[in-house]
Amino acid sequence: MIDETREDRLIDTFATLADTLVAGYDVVDLLQTLVESCASLFDIAAAGILLADADGELEVVASTSEASRLVEVMQLSARAGPCVECFTTGSVVSLPDVEDSPPAWQRFRDSAREQGFAAVHAIPLRLRKTTIGALNLLSSVPGALRQQDVRAAQALADVATIGILQERTVRESNSVREHLTIALNSRVVIEQAKGVIAHSHAVSMEEAFTLLRNHARSNHLMLSQVAQSLVDQTLVI
Amino acid sequence: MPDRFSGAEETLTALAGTESRLYEPFLGLLPVDGLSISTFGDFLPAETISASDAQSLRLDELQFDLGEGPCWDALETGKPVFEPNIRERPNRIWPAFSEAIIADELGALFAFPLSLGPLRIGAIDLYTSRPSHLSDLDIRRTSGLATVVSRLVLSRAIRLSQSDSEVDTDTRRQFSRREVHQATGMVLSQLGISALDARLVIQGHTFAVGRSMQEIAEEIIDRRLSFAVNEHQIEESHD
Repeated sequence: MIDETREDRLIDTFATLADTLVAGYDVVDLLQTLVESCASLFDIAAAGILLADADGELEVVASTSEASRLVEVMQLSARAGPCVECFTTGSVVSLPDVEDSPPAWQRFRDSAREQGFAAVHAIPLRLRKTTIGALNLLSSVPGALRQQDVRAAQALADVATIGILQERTVRESNSVREHLTIALNSRVVIEQAKGVIAHSHAVSMEEAFTLLRNHARSNHLMLSQVAQSLVDQTLVI
Repeated sequence: MPDRFSGAEETLTALAGTESRLYEPFLGLLPVDGLSISTFGDFLPAETISASDAQSLRLDELQFDLGEGPCWDALETGKPVFEPNIRERPNRIWPAFSEAIIADELGALFAFPLSLGPLRIGAIDLYTSRPSHLSDLDIRRTSGLATVVSRLVLSRAIRLSQSDSEVDTDTRRQFSRREVHQATGMVLSQLGISALDARLVIQGHTFAVGRSMQEIAEEIIDRRLSFAVNEHQIEESHD
């Protein structure tokens, strides 16, 4: 029964994502929707997507929470942890119990432990033979993901890859690097816009993100457009 | 002619990396015989970045050594200093500097401050050998170009400081980025400047206090450090 409900939600999620891909979209917004879908579909506490920048370093572009501590644990995982291993090997890396982390992953383990994450799964964002990033699923209870969950998560990761590489503004370009740069740069502008709102509204970065997103949604604007206008100071919200 | 001005702006920007030639676009644009661009004050060490001739270099050195002169006043007040006839009819007397230039063949001296947000960077010193004036247009142009020069000179100082500490900051880079971008947003909103300038202000402040970008970004986000514009002037405030 529960599985049926979940299957329905999975279908809904893919339908929504497919609609978005057809209709034209903002890449960071799409990735944000995707990580939030992951959090509701799977038995996890948090999710995030990391993409490789021009130097091959992984950066968080979307996460279920904007809390800097969550971002930090994912960045640590991207330095020495499951995320970077997933990225370099191009395969799913499951760490059902963070206590089993090898010594090299100590900083990641400490940070995960401190924030109550017990298990981490990293799913590659692959384009043929290239890996462009990773989807991270963080769970507060130890345990492996079920096989069908791994398949569903991989399918969502593939949607993310398609989303990044198909973004309208760069569709004519063939360079994967360019697509990634666009996605990462939109994230930079979003962070700056959060700062603008945090200052003008005297709110936290998390609240600033919520305000930013709500404004974009209620006005049917793309998240990165709104962010850019705020940074250019042509828009005040 | 606005096209000559924007041409000078572009030429200046293209000189990033070869800052010793920054004086060049000014010579074609302004009725002056020479000029120098220098950093000094509390923030950056006293140094001539670019000078068109020996006279300009000498004017800088005198002012650095004596700790007074038009460039110091320009930096302190944040406004240009005009001395159209420095020897016959000076507006101000600088006890040591005025004395030191008696034998120099100088007519007019002008100094424009270099600053970005709250950061006081240095000045542009210009001279003519005969008494002379700057027109309103000249003044507007020089002030406009001074902003471009401020960015370039500050970027240069940051670039030079980074070469030795690069390795050190590299390990923190991944964690610092988000917060630096957020802090950039806060500062651009506080000062009403572009994101690029806001980032420079943060970098410049980081450089001035000798700490990491990460630490400064955190201070800004936690509202322990603000560059907000006060009623009359821009000031950094710690509370």
